[in-house]
Amino acid sequence: MLRFDQVSKGYPGGFVALDKVSFELQKGEMAFLTGHSGAGKSTLLRLISLIERPSTGQVIVNGVDLADVKVKQTPYMRRDIGMIFQDHRLLSSHTVFDNVALPLVIEGFTGREMARRVHAALDQVGLLDKARCYPATLSGGEAQRVGIARAVVNKPPLLLADEPTGNLDPDLSKDIMRVFEAFNQAGVSVLIASHDLSLIARMRYRTMTLKNGRMINDGLLHSEAQA
Amino acid sequence: MSMLLSGRAVGASTVKLTRREKLWRALATNARQAVSSLGELWRTPVWAFVTVAVLGVSMTLPATLHLLVKNIQQVSRSYDQSFEISLFLKNEATPTDIASFVTILQGDPDIAKVRLIDKASAMAEFKQQSGFGEAIRFLDQNPLPDVLVITPSQNLPSAAEDLLQKLEKERFVDLAKLDISWLERLAALMALMQQAVYTIAVLLLCAALLVIGNTIRLLIMDKKAEIEVMKLVGATDAFIQRPFLYTGVWLGIFGGFLAFLVIEFMILWLRAAIAKVTQLYQSDFVINSLSLAEFGVLMAIGTGLGLFGSYLAVRSHIKAIEP
Repeated sequence: MLRFDQVSKGYPGGFVALDKVSFELQKGEMAFLTGHSGAGKSTLLRLISLIERPSTGQVIVNGVDLADVKVKQTPYMRRDIGMIFQDHRLLSSHTVFDNVALPLVIEGFTGREMARRVHAALDQVGLLDKARCYPATLSGGEAQRVGIARAVVNKPPLLLADEPTGNLDPDLSKDIMRVFEAFNQAGVSVLIASHDLSLIARMRYRTMTLKNGRMINDGLLHSEAQA
Repeated sequence: MSMLLSGRAVGASTVKLTRREKLWRALATNARQAVSSLGELWRTPVWAFVTVAVLGVSMTLPATLHLLVKNIQQVSRSYDQSFEISLFLKNEATPTDIASFVTILQGDPDIAKVRLIDKASAMAEFKQQSGFGEAIRFLDQNPLPDVLVITPSQNLPSAAEDLLQKLEKERFVDLAKLDISWLERLAALMALMQQAVYTIAVLLLCAALLVIGNTIRLLIMDKKAEIEVMKLVGATDAFIQRPFLYTGVWLGIFGGFLAFLVIEFMILWLRAAIAKVTQLYQSDFVINSLSLAEFGVLMAIGTGLGLFGSYLAVRSHIKAIEP
């Protein structure tokens, strides 16, 4: 589903955010990406979602080399990747329903078909009753779940989450992770960047650790790493 | 449209659409964006009104000038119809000569009317109007010539000029005179004024364009976060641009209509005053307002300005916003 092949990303001024990173995420696999702030987690996700391009190396998503994707095609590429952000990035002037419907509106859905899909997505994250609310009236956990609903509403094969529990307390974090697990069990590949090591260790999924732009560990996180 | 089709179970793009369904979806999306742009203006009425007012004023001024030129042209056209050629006849022409000359002229297809003012009646008129009555009595003979006043059948200055040249060569004609130089001067002035109007119009419309562009730019900056999110969830630039273009079009339409209302109101207001003046001059001049075609042009200019102004803003600024 997702393959990094010796990918490096440097910035003008000599800072190297990613240094020859290679890994592969299978179809239907769920994995964590961890490391300190500035270790390169966000950069790695930004490369997948084509917000940035690698300096060297190949990023391949479902057999498509992202280097071959032209700028004009970027939007269509992004429609197949569900993205979730730490600050959930909801549009405050629109209702929950409209926020979740946005990816469908962009693809040209209208009327009943759109409403059906939005309600299905909100139902999956347990927020069907909040459809008419505005984001400002939601709690942090609810807002994040709306963000997830928006990411999955057009059923992308790959979900990327950047610190989805960064602003949440442990109980809410666990809830959010369960939502991701549910989507993973439905066959969606999930990659979550997080520095919440205790939560990751308890979840027992494959964990990739970045340090100063290098991949230093790939596999189950050992309990001693929590220290 | 999807790049990762195989992985997408029931993705929107995997649903095959016929051409008609695609067209329907595009129309529905456009209609929704047009209406929501209108709603957006409604939510910020003060801001919208200021922009519309600037647009309206910058279109009112050139349109008013255009009306002015149009109405003056109408007045001068009524003068155009009063070309007359005066033929001063030689002294040696006898009344019989004159009578046969008049008959010949009346048969000329280029001439509509011939009027004879003979020496005696000219003298009588001169005595009455000049105030030299007593002095003239001392003249031993009448110095005034016989005069033929000719009205050409065509109302064109060039035709009158041609006729003048032809009549000058006649045997009994001493001097032929066509006084159209002041009409030519008026026409030249009108042309100058028309050009000035166009220049002012172009300058004002440029200013309006910049105002719309700036308004849309501010709107884009205001929605930066929203645009970023839309780009992140896969909206194309065209999709993001469209609401702003529609906003520009709405502003243009309202601005054009405002200009129309202002002009109509102004004419209504001026009509009574003009009627008074024309009554004093015993003229049947009636001020002309905008015709339907001119109204259409005004609205088209407004719409075009809105679209082009917003396009200029959108083209550079939407691309610059990247997540």
